[in-house]
Amino acid sequence: MTDEENFLASSFRYLQKMIRQSGPAASASYTMIGAIILLGGLGYLIDRWYNTEPWFLLGGLLLGIIVGLYEIAKVVWKNPR
Amino acid sequence: MSLAAQGHGANEFDAGEVIIEHVSNSSPEHPIFELPTLWGIDFSVTKHVLVLWIVSALVFTVITWYVRKYLKQDRPVPTGFMNALEAIVEYIRDSIVLPNVGPKYLLSWTPLILTFFFFIVTANAFGLVPLFDVLGAINRLILRVGPEETQFINTLLHGGATATGNYNVTAGLALITFTAIIIAGSKAHGFIQHWKNLVPPGFAWPLYIMLIPIEILGMLVKPFALTMRLAANMTGGHIAILAILSFVFIFTGLFHSALAGIGIGIVVSVPLAVGVSALEIIVILVQAYVFTMLSAVFIGMAINVHH
Repeated sequence: MTDEENFLASSFRYLQKMIRQSGPAASASYTMIGAIILLGGLGYLIDRWYNTEPWFLLGGLLLGIIVGLYEIAKVVWKNPR
Repeated sequence: MSLAAQGHGANEFDAGEVIIEHVSNSSPEHPIFELPTLWGIDFSVTKHVLVLWIVSALVFTVITWYVRKYLKQDRPVPTGFMNALEAIVEYIRDSIVLPNVGPKYLLSWTPLILTFFFFIVTANAFGLVPLFDVLGAINRLILRVGPEETQFINTLLHGGATATGNYNVTAGLALITFTAIIIAGSKAHGFIQHWKNLVPPGFAWPLYIMLIPIEILGMLVKPFALTMRLAANMTGGHIAILAILSFVFIFTGLFHSALAGIGIGIVVSVPLAVGVSALEIIVILVQAYVFTMLSAVFIGMAINVHH
C-alpha cells in the first residue's frame, strides 16, 4: 500500500513539475494564436471598411505570424535546452 | 434550459436562435434593473452584470467570513472548507506565483493572482448551476405564472448565466492583467527602464526599427489572447451541451412525433450532455488555472528580464 501511495505522490509531483515548466511555452503558444487572430481580424475589418480586399487581411495575417513566431522564439532563446 | 427551449419549440424550433439566446447576455432593451444613463453610458443591469454582482458578493463574503472565523480560533488548525481553501492558496502561491514571479515580489502579486483564480472559478462554476432555471421552473409549474407576464423571475430567464463567457467580462479581467504587467515592471525596474526592457539590448540600430513595433504588438496581443481564450472556452462547452439537447426538438419536428424526440433524448442527447457537462467541470478548473498561470507568467516576465 505504501508503495502505491509513493507512486501516486511521485506521479502527482512529476505532473506538477511538468505543468510548472510548461507555463512559458503555453503563454507563447496562446500569444501566437492570439496575434494571428487579432491582427488578421483587424486586417479583415479594414478591408471591409475601405473595400481593399484582400491586402490588409494578408498583411495582418503576415504581421500576426511574425509577432507570434517572435514570441515563441523569445521563449526558445531564453531556455536553450 | 430545456424548459425555455420547449416554449420556443412549440411551433417552429430554430436551434441556432435558441442556443444563442441561452449563451449570450440578456438584451439591454429589457434590463433586469432599470438604472439611469450617465455620460451616455446605460447603467441598467443585464443578466451577466447581475451574475457578476452575485459572484463577487459570494466570493467576498464566503472567503472573508471563513478566514476571519479561522483567525479568531484559539488553536489555528484549519478544518473543513478552510482546509481546502488553505491548500488552494498554498498551491497557487508555491506552484504558480513563486516559480514565475520570484521570491522578491511574491507577496505583492499573490493576492491579485488568488483573486483572479477564485473569481474566475466561481463565475465559471456559477454558469453550470441551473439556479435561474430552477427558479423559473418553480415559477411556471408551482406558482403558475405565465411566460408573458412582466415579473421579476421571468426577466431573469433570458440570456446565459456564465458571465465569464462574455468577451466584455474577460476583456476587463485581461485589462487588469495588462495594467498589472506595467505596474510590476515599473515597480521592479522604474518606469522608463520597464519600457526599455521590452526590447533586448545590444543589437545594431536598424534592427530596433523592426523589433520595437513587434514588441509593442506582442504586448497588446497577450491580453487579447487571455480575453478570447477564457470567453471562447466557457461559451464553447455550453453551445455543445445545448446543441446536443436540441436534437430532441429537432427530431420531434422532423418526424412529427414526440416519441422520436424522447427516444433520441434517452438514447443520445441526455447521456452525451451528461458527458459534456462532466467535461465542463474539468474545463472550469483548467481555464481558471490557465488564466491565473498566464497572468503570473506575464507579470514575472516584466519583473525577471533575462537577456
